[in-house]
Amino acid sequence: MLEKRLVLVSGKGGVGKSAVSAGLALLAQRRGLRVLAMEMGSPGGLSAHFGTGPLEFEPRELRPGLHAMQMVRSDALLEYLALQLNIKGLNRFGPLARAFDALATTAPGIREIITVGKAIWEVREDRWDIVIADAPPTGQIASFLRAPVTISELVPSGRIRVQAEIMQEILRDQTVTGLILVTLPEELPATETAESITWLAKENVVAAPIVMANRILDQLADPETPPGPVGEAAQLHRALWSEQQVWLDRLPPDHLLPYLHGLLTPGEVAARMADEFELIT
Amino acid sequence: MTRTLIITGAGGVGKTTVAAALGVRAARSGLRTLVVTVDPARRLATALGVEDLGNEPQPHAAEPNLWAAMLDSTASWRAVAMRHADPDVATRLADNDFFKAASEHFPASQAYAAADQAATFVQAMAWDLVIVDTPPSGGGIDFFAAPAQMADLVGGRLLRWLTGGPLPGRRTFYNLAAKPVLRIADSVLGSDLLERVAEFLLDLRTTYDGVAQRGREIERVLGSASIFVVTTSDPAPVREAIKFYRDLPGLAASPAAVVFNRILPEKWADSTAPPGTSLALEQNLARWSAETVRQRDTREEFSSRYGARIATIPWSTSPPTDLDGLGRLLDESKELPWAEVGIS
Repeated sequence: MLEKRLVLVSGKGGVGKSAVSAGLALLAQRRGLRVLAMEMGSPGGLSAHFGTGPLEFEPRELRPGLHAMQMVRSDALLEYLALQLNIKGLNRFGPLARAFDALATTAPGIREIITVGKAIWEVREDRWDIVIADAPPTGQIASFLRAPVTISELVPSGRIRVQAEIMQEILRDQTVTGLILVTLPEELPATETAESITWLAKENVVAAPIVMANRILDQLADPETPPGPVGEAAQLHRALWSEQQVWLDRLPPDHLLPYLHGLLTPGEVAARMADEFELIT
Repeated sequence: MTRTLIITGAGGVGKTTVAAALGVRAARSGLRTLVVTVDPARRLATALGVEDLGNEPQPHAAEPNLWAAMLDSTASWRAVAMRHADPDVATRLADNDFFKAASEHFPASQAYAAADQAATFVQAMAWDLVIVDTPPSGGGIDFFAAPAQMADLVGGRLLRWLTGGPLPGRRTFYNLAAKPVLRIADSVLGSDLLERVAEFLLDLRTTYDGVAQRGREIERVLGSASIFVVTTSDPAPVREAIKFYRDLPGLAASPAAVVFNRILPEKWADSTAPPGTSLALEQNLARWSAETVRQRDTREEFSSRYGARIATIPWSTSPPTDLDGLGRLLDESKELPWAEVGIS
């Protein structure tokens, strides 16, 4: 995954997308890559793992070689108009910016293409070796990944259409773009992951995803159940483990990430994730 | 009077199970209770008796005071807008690319449709308590913001921005591209994209009175409802729960309780394995004990920071599959403000 230029991390809400994104960014930084970590979906997830407070649209260096930013649609729109579409003299509150903002709210694909476009723009910039995006959840990822196609269908000509076609190529190029789907060994996340994989195979907008199952328990070596908390904890663990195996068999995931018991500071979580990825890659 | 209880929170934390369990408790305490759910897991649909039903409330075959309705999760504000449109406009809207696409992608769409249907049941005055399980997408805080967002979209705020002035008649907006600033936009987007958007917005604008009035009714229902926020002790759902204390004021009442699901027994926090325990079991207790401490700290921080009333549901490895199981689920959740929703 670290050989790609753009890694999108998605999954059902609450499965640990941000932890995986933060861990991957940390590993890339440890290996000396120039990294941009991008909070693309709901704000707060990624920044919590770096313990830096809210991120801004302008990338901020968190530690040597690791920058992080938060997607802000209105800023991304202005940047898109100015840099990619080459429209000069834009004023945030001017009529043109407002007209585009109206369009972005109403027309399908525009909102999404601005977000995806920002990530792709950063990839083409050569400021970074790798861009790691904590992407929107699987429920929304389809409309984001498909946005360039939607635009091409909707807009018959013009500069925005040309841009959309370049984006499609970059997303489809598996040497450049990778998608990670994070999931849990439970009914709802596993089902949603399976549905996403089917959709992705059909739409062919991005290369086949890598599936990472998070919060995996190891099998308990001792079959005894003594009285008291020792036995109760063993029983809970075994029951969860059996349930987990059912969903792992059905998925099956490419990688397993361990359940991190009792970790209090988010920084610890990102560091432990990075250690795990060290073993995988 | 019909009381309304809205069960909200991030996806995957057990909202639907909690809504169903509350429904069984309420029905058994003598309240005529309707549980409105969206897309339940099969076992819950079976327990509630809504497997094959549409969105009309059905009385439960085995539980006298319990009704259940399953909302159509594909319903969108498309239907709502159509309901308030003249026949001509409705025909044009139906053929408009933007309307089709926007009704699929408008983020508040599903939340609005669910809120609309739930409000209809509350207004019917046929039940003592209506328990609303919020949809997976557009659940959480969006559910409460949906009516205003809908009125905003339909109300032409965007259209006024697009035209830079008062609302135009149908004839003037065809000259949009004559405006210098918009001519640039037109060259970027190619062809007549802006005009097609404007045309769509202008048609949509004619439904404004109906949509806005309905939106105010929905807001009244949501505004007078009690709210339970369900979460686990994990950071993402807790962040979602916090929004109800930081961002909700003005849209609805402060939550009556935050229900932490999947809670480990408190006594594990200070437990150590007795001498003679195998290393595997000793380590296993130690890690679950650490997890118990983390859960407790999360709850204490939440309660001290936001003054929230906290209730807990034990972590069960066998989720309830029938009415009796659902009825027992909240047996240990004594901190729940039962009186607030009229359950004795």
